[in-house]
Amino acid sequence: MAEVVLNQLVKSYGGMAAVRSIDLTIPDGAFAVLVGPSGCGKSTTLRMIAGLEEISGGTISIGGRVVNDLPPKDRDIAMVFQNYALYQHMTVYDNLAFGLRNRKESEARIAEKIAHAASILSIEPLMQRRPKQLSGGQQQRVALGRCIVRHPQVFLFDEPLSNLDAKLRAQMRIELKRLRERVPATSVYVTHDQVEAMTLGDIVVIMKDGLIQQVGTPLQVYNDPANLFVAGFIGAPAMNVFKGKLDAAGEKVMVEGVALSVGERNRAALRGHAGREVMVGIRPEHIALGSHGNQLEGSVDVIEQLGSEMHLDLKMGNAAFTVARVAPDAPIRLHEKVTVSIPAERLHFFDADSQQAIRPASLSGALAA
Amino acid sequence: MTVATLDTRTPMPHKSERGFFSLMAPGARRAFFYLFVIGVGFIIAFPVLWLVLTSLRPASGMFYVHRGTEFTLDNFFEVFENRIVIKAYINSAIIATLATVLSLGITVTSGYMLSRFRGPIASGWFSIIYVFRCVPYISWVLPLYILTQNLGVYDTYLGLLLPHIAVHICFFSWLMKGFFDGIDPSMEYAALIDGCTRWGAFVRVALPSAVPGLAALAVLCWLWTWNEFLFALLLTSHQTPVLTVVMAQFVHELGIEWNLMSATAVMALGPALLITFFGQKYVITGLKI
Amino acid sequence: MLALIAPAAVTMALFQVVPIILGANASFRDWTLYDPKKTWVGLKHYIEVITDPAFFGLAIPNTLLFLVLSVSLSLTFGLGLALLLNRSFVGQSVVRTIVLLPLMVAPVIASIMMRWMFNDQFGIVNVVLEGVGLPPVAWLAYRWTTMMVIVLADVWLWTPWFAVLLLAGLQSLPKEPFEAAAIDAAGPWRVFRSLTLPMLRPVIVVCVVIRSIDAFRVFDQVWVISGGGPARTTEMFSIYAYVEAFQRMNFGKGSAAALVGGAVIVVFGLVLYRLLNRAVEVSK
Repeated sequence: MAEVVLNQLVKSYGGMAAVRSIDLTIPDGAFAVLVGPSGCGKSTTLRMIAGLEEISGGTISIGGRVVNDLPPKDRDIAMVFQNYALYQHMTVYDNLAFGLRNRKESEARIAEKIAHAASILSIEPLMQRRPKQLSGGQQQRVALGRCIVRHPQVFLFDEPLSNLDAKLRAQMRIELKRLRERVPATSVYVTHDQVEAMTLGDIVVIMKDGLIQQVGTPLQVYNDPANLFVAGFIGAPAMNVFKGKLDAAGEKVMVEGVALSVGERNRAALRGHAGREVMVGIRPEHIALGSHGNQLEGSVDVIEQLGSEMHLDLKMGNAAFTVARVAPDAPIRLHEKVTVSIPAERLHFFDADSQQAIRPASLSGALAA
Repeated sequence: MTVATLDTRTPMPHKSERGFFSLMAPGARRAFFYLFVIGVGFIIAFPVLWLVLTSLRPASGMFYVHRGTEFTLDNFFEVFENRIVIKAYINSAIIATLATVLSLGITVTSGYMLSRFRGPIASGWFSIIYVFRCVPYISWVLPLYILTQNLGVYDTYLGLLLPHIAVHICFFSWLMKGFFDGIDPSMEYAALIDGCTRWGAFVRVALPSAVPGLAALAVLCWLWTWNEFLFALLLTSHQTPVLTVVMAQFVHELGIEWNLMSATAVMALGPALLITFFGQKYVITGLKI
Repeated sequence: MLALIAPAAVTMALFQVVPIILGANASFRDWTLYDPKKTWVGLKHYIEVITDPAFFGLAIPNTLLFLVLSVSLSLTFGLGLALLLNRSFVGQSVVRTIVLLPLMVAPVIASIMMRWMFNDQFGIVNVVLEGVGLPPVAWLAYRWTTMMVIVLADVWLWTPWFAVLLLAGLQSLPKEPFEAAAIDAAGPWRVFRSLTLPMLRPVIVVCVVIRSIDAFRVFDQVWVISGGGPARTTEMFSIYAYVEAFQRMNFGKGSAAALVGGAVIVVFGLVLYRLLNRAVEVSK
């Protein structure tokens, strides 16, 4: 195991910058998930750590050793590819043995290691098959096995679950979590799926346009998004965002003609923005039907019945917002007017120009530390 | 409870193995690489270069091509005065062009059929095509000599054109099948639902998508027909002389006049070079079997 | 559906099937070109061809030797060129154009060039030999050196064809297995043996099958370079049939030879087709 440190990492293709400047420290043994929309530079970053892309600037070190100029084979890493990249014409056993044989290990040691990895992944019966004869989930396990047998310092995952169907993906997610207990290693995992990021990561790294937007634990990025982008990206359904204007005292915010209290927690931070335009965010799951505290009224535009709960899309003047976690049997009809309550402590505020979060001082301090 | 985990760490190799080339400085390695590339290119291009050089030497310099410094275009003028060469040149061009257009026209539907239809007729047609592709030219070109004479088309455009098209059918149908296999048929289904007939879906949707492949094949077909020798040797005579045959006769008749020989060959190369130069893009991208 | 193949089928029937039937008919008769009495002689020509030492003893072995040498050498060189062109380097497009050059050259022209280069008195090859102090060789005066020149002409002509198709094959291979191999510490030779070659196998097999079938009917190169000589020792199957039919004016025997050779290659072709299907299947 080893710490992975990216220092002012840059990658550009011709004039195009794919990764602009990344500073990131992944502690020994941590599972870091790079997440972001396509083209945000997450895969490029991973491939630079693997040594599959040349580095245009900055340094990467693994376990205290700068690896910029080392070929992939000397970086002591293993990687799971999106389409698994199994060697199609070799048996599963030979696939697993390939990297070990290249490193001149004895056949006996190889057999021992493969048996161990196979038992972890329960793929023992597949050893003599070829990848084409395996299901997607089995291929995925073999790809994982190829990494495990090597016992590298760092595991790299490049969207490994994106080729699986939804059900299998949920299964594999759980297996990956279980695997972490048995094969602890520093891991870097790239995905565009925020659910994977939240469920798998110790550290979630949200990227956009080649830059890191926020680094934090899953709860940190959910509870205190650093900016509007992170707020919209993490959480489903996405956070509702309204244009609002703070009053002169910085204690109330006007949203679509309704005054909402900003809440105790935010008051201090908002003082500096008194009288200015801000963006106000509230997660759909934090809005409840009923009329206490801050209230908004809207007409029901769409009802999404999920069985366990309902999502309502409400229209209010020019704005629209979503309410989640409505009881599935709530007597609500389309186009009906409903009143919802907005808990002031759950409101998020963002600067209208910079789109950065306006956070309570205690929090920003905690994050910086 | 602790799970007893096996220590399966792979020792890092202390030093990666080093070969002769990796010991050299990167600059020297690059130099070796380019020396190699230039050598390869030179070997491949040499016969053509040598031919061009020979065609530019006067008859007196023939036997010391490598030493002389005297160059002339006389050989080309002399070749141009030869009526038969000019006639053969024009004939070859006409036949190659017509054969290309007609071969492609006939085989494109056949390849489409092979790609899109299943069943005994399609698989039977495919077997026939494969078997006939194997039949050596000589096996049917001998009797073709008699057939074309009986049909009264011996030594005419038609008499050479039709066998050329026939011989292209097998291979081209096969290649065309490949082109259409690479085109997603769902576009045609969409066209059918949008009110096209089966034929309309082929002409308006599938055909335009196959254009890069067709372009590659057109270039190759033109070259093959232009360069073809055996059919031309057997099925033409003085009425319709063809360039390859005329050149081969030179070898045997005026075998010593290498300068004229080379000039004719260079002339024959010209159109082929032009066609390939402009079609290179298609040949490389379109030709994936 | 039938309409789609009708033009092709009719052309083929008229100019491939009918000629073969005509040829079969002729092969059973004494069908001389100048005096067509056309007497039915049964299997006489076939027996003559099969028992002729110049056919199964010389023409067919020559053809097979030529086929094996030409196809294996142009495959090797073509694969080498494809690997070279698959790298990116300055001047790569220039090299690619040069590699394509032989594709445009008629076999007749290529053979003329070879004849000229290997001319015993003034050919550049002998000039170079003498230059380094070796005695000149009368290349086209001996069987094996003539054979070598013929094979050389064919290899020169067809190496680019292999190179282009294999390059297309290489470029369509997925990148990830190669990246995985880089992480798995596979050296260049190991990558080539364990990844490139097996993944490329279907393309290689298709190329080899097509080329083998074509190489069997080689005519132009032999005709121009040696005409089958010296003393018929480099005669190959197509030349044999041609010479019998048109130079010895025995059209019946020529046809018989053409059909016997045709049968050999069709059987050979069907075996190869099996092989091809298996190779493509395994890789799926």
